[in-house]
Amino acid sequence: MNRFEIFKNGITKENPILVQQVGMCATLTITTSLLNGIGMGIAVIAVLTGSNIVISALRKFIPDEVRIPAFIIVIAAFTTMIDLLMHAYTFELYKALGVFIPLIVVNCIILARAEAFASKNSIVDSIIDGLGMGVGYLVAMILLSGIREILGNGTILGFRILPEAYEPMMMAVQPPGAFILLGLLIGVVNYLSRRKKA
Amino acid sequence: MKNNFIKLAGVLLIIGAVASGVLAWLNDATKERIAMNEAMASMDPAILEAVMPGSVMFNEHEDTDLIEKIKSENEKFINLFTAVDASGNELGKVVRTWSTVKGFNGDMELYVGFTPDGQISGATVISHQETEGLGSRVTLPDFTNQFIGRDGTAVIGESDYDAIAGATMSSKSFLSGINNAIAVYAEYVK
Amino acid sequence: MELVSLFITSFLVNNIIFMQFLGVCPFLGVSKKIDTAAGMGIAVIFVIALASVITYIIHHAVLVNLELEYLQTIVFILIIAALVQFVEMFLKKSAPGLYQALGIFLPLITTNCAVLGVAINNIIFEYSFVESLVYSIATSAGFMLAIVLFAGVRDKVDYADLPESLKGSAISLVTAGLMSIAFLGFAGLQL
Repeated sequence: MNRFEIFKNGITKENPILVQQVGMCATLTITTSLLNGIGMGIAVIAVLTGSNIVISALRKFIPDEVRIPAFIIVIAAFTTMIDLLMHAYTFELYKALGVFIPLIVVNCIILARAEAFASKNSIVDSIIDGLGMGVGYLVAMILLSGIREILGNGTILGFRILPEAYEPMMMAVQPPGAFILLGLLIGVVNYLSRRKKA
Repeated sequence: MKNNFIKLAGVLLIIGAVASGVLAWLNDATKERIAMNEAMASMDPAILEAVMPGSVMFNEHEDTDLIEKIKSENEKFINLFTAVDASGNELGKVVRTWSTVKGFNGDMELYVGFTPDGQISGATVISHQETEGLGSRVTLPDFTNQFIGRDGTAVIGESDYDAIAGATMSSKSFLSGINNAIAVYAEYVK
Repeated sequence: MELVSLFITSFLVNNIIFMQFLGVCPFLGVSKKIDTAAGMGIAVIFVIALASVITYIIHHAVLVNLELEYLQTIVFILIIAALVQFVEMFLKKSAPGLYQALGIFLPLITTNCAVLGVAINNIIFEYSFVESLVYSIATSAGFMLAIVLFAGVRDKVDYADLPESLKGSAISLVTAGLMSIAFLGFAGLQL
């Protein structure tokens, strides 16, 4: 697999949210506005790429028997770093994302990439894999949070794009809207990929 | 087997130690900014504006000995702050205090701001137990605005202000808080 | 009385799945049959209650005293991982029957964000020890309620005649959304 394919893989064929459906908790909760979705996506890219680099670099040093706890420590360390940095420099976003920043550590996509990719491949490939998967996550977050913000608030990044007369669909930003819209989004993705194959 | 166990534990220990070291360093580097963010967030912009127009933050007064001294001599006094604007310039002092006369249901807690030339810049109630809709009107600008611009060094008499009709006790309690702040300001700060 | 209201709020009103979305992965993954869903639910209650007690004690006795709160995430996730391992070993030796029933779910629980989420929320909400115990049991019981109800509905959905693209997780999510609307009704409870 060449490097471009590794990158593209994470965005399309193995998109963490839309295809693999892992790490759903944060996806459903914080996508009430596009800004939150982008913020969370970038935080995940940072943790995923960072932990992929370190785990790939240490892949010969970490014995097989303790690899899972070792991976968890590395991932938790990167998560805490992002937590501290966001707390210091993007305070509003930090408050909006709340408990879901420390919860990046149990986002299955990160441990899954450490186990399935970074612990078996070179550092450069692991960076590309981390970026690809991370961008795939970000794209899905942007789609879902964008849809929810437009429907639920009539705005994009706080700017009004639907006329004042538009009655916001409150359900879109409430919990049920998250489930239903993500379900429909996955349905659309399934439909498109089936049509492409056919 | 035993050697292997030591190796495994050793590897985990090294990774854990390095991770903690990095985090300790980063925690140290971001500590100040985080504390500042938290302090700013705990301050409601509406309260800041009402007490000291233009301020973005109340910093605790640098002279902690003075604060301890006031606390020991004035039991209703809570704290003394320096109000600053967005670029960090001092706008005046703010006294946080309990009222000295009980309202309808007990003491109320106030912020009272003073400009550098000794005038009251504003006052607001942070907590109270007055009757909602009646005594609670002491929190409204209609009532509190009458104290803006008053001399911050002379106690305000009961005939010098307009109490809220039907909420005299709450009004008196508020006035006692203002007067305690004035007493603190005149004696220790001015 | 306050504890009762905390229990009901955490169990129904702020249901962990339908309102807070913690633990959605196992919720979608292990809800194909009612009995496996119930098994997962019990295992989660057990681990969350135990993990909350231990992380609460460690946080207040060790991390706060040493001013090491920034290590919270690492310490908590390691405690949970170790705890799950330990519970697994313990059950295997002393209660093989229970192990047979719950064993396969245990490894999945480490990466269940509900466990870490509840442990962290106990600290964020500044609960007392008793409150955090009530909160963790009520929340995890809410998880079990959600996953068992959902498995029951899913049983039926499997036989529905759906467009190919909606089959599987897409329709599961929509179903969960409809159940979530039902749970919104609890928000009107006066407690």
